Amino acid sequence: MTKTVVTPLTQALAEGKLSRAELRALMARSDRPALRRLALWLLVLAGTTTLIALSWNSWLIWPAMFLHGIVLVHHFSLQHECVHYTVFRTRWLNDLVGQICGLIIILPHRFFRYEHCDHHTYTQLTGEDPEMIGMPASLADYLWYLSAIPYWRTKLTELLRHAAGRLSPAEQRFIPKVEHDAVRRDARVMLSIYAALFLGMAATGWWGLLWFWLVPLALGEPVMRAIRMTEHVGRPTVAQMHENTRTSLVSWPWRFLCWNMNYHAEHHYVASVPFHALPRLHERLKDHIHVEPGGYLGAHRDILRQLFDRRDTA
Amino acid sequence: MSATARPWRDLVAVAELERGWVTRVDLGARSLAVYDTPTGIHVSLALCNHGGADLCDGFFDGHVIECPLHQGAFDVRDGRPVSAPATRPMKLFETRVRDGMVQIRA
Repeated sequence: MTKTVVTPLTQALAEGKLSRAELRALMARSDRPALRRLALWLLVLAGTTTLIALSWNSWLIWPAMFLHGIVLVHHFSLQHECVHYTVFRTRWLNDLVGQICGLIIILPHRFFRYEHCDHHTYTQLTGEDPEMIGMPASLADYLWYLSAIPYWRTKLTELLRHAAGRLSPAEQRFIPKVEHDAVRRDARVMLSIYAALFLGMAATGWWGLLWFWLVPLALGEPVMRAIRMTEHVGRPTVAQMHENTRTSLVSWPWRFLCWNMNYHAEHHYVASVPFHALPRLHERLKDHIHVEPGGYLGAHRDILRQLFDRRDTA
Repeated sequence: MSATARPWRDLVAVAELERGWVTRVDLGARSLAVYDTPTGIHVSLALCNHGGADLCDGFFDGHVIECPLHQGAFDVRDGRPVSAPATRPMKLFETRVRDGMVQIRA
């Protein structure tokens, strides 16, 4: 018999933080908000791509690539929403867009989906949450994580390992056996596409993808690492959702880029609520969750304060 | 006793169901999910067979119920999983409506 799991949502309903009618209204899905946002997204991408092209023979290409990279790494946010099927009402569109985002940021969609499910089951529980970013032990650790070097090392190794058909014991726990072959196939397909792109560049002598995609991606990833840290790092490593997750109040451009995922505690409470309804859910839950009014920078100030306080008391 | 020989049991009045949505109904020790769909009423166990969350708190769209914990989804007409991480069919009950009452074989 299936074991009952009390989700934060079930708890919120039981405690009257949300009514069933409110929940139903908040969960309503539509393709339209996502298609509108995606149109603007493509315009922003076209804009940052143009900036790189315009600054091609100048040192300005580096800030242009950084700016473009910030947009590129936010495909993670869109992919994350697709993992939850909360971008489009049409389910296959979430799969399609999620796959494309995964290809852009080198993160196989199916694998991420399974890993992320486990993150929602064991949020911020040491040794169980597969996406947990540990509280840095020192300023050097903090900066090392922000460099994104450990992230890329982990992700690229993971991709190669999956292509070779090897899953870690933790991955074997959260990926059903019937999907093991599919995870291997996804990794191989992804590597084949990248190999084909490189061969294409070598054959044509046009290496533009390096400057329009891979270098900006590497330059932008530290920004995504910094944002990912704001979600849980420095919050208590306990199961209670109102404790273990941080919502950061950020300005519209950041909310646009991250598909409202700054409302992270709300998202963890009710992962079925689409991105466009998260601000409304925030109004309903803001007194029951941890909110950082200072935004991403405020969250990092909190993390650093804890880091230095810990060092001073050690 | 075979499953088909089980008697019909009253579950809930149709008038008490949330229209176009999923309603939780307890039958003895079991929690059941009753779905009001465009093509009729269907009944399953309320707990998701992947993570054990209550499907009655999930998003319901037409014939697809989505688990609130991981957004795995099932087609309530035949129980088939339609989205990962759900990989096994969910348990459905034979269902009928008699005199305004949803009945299942259980």
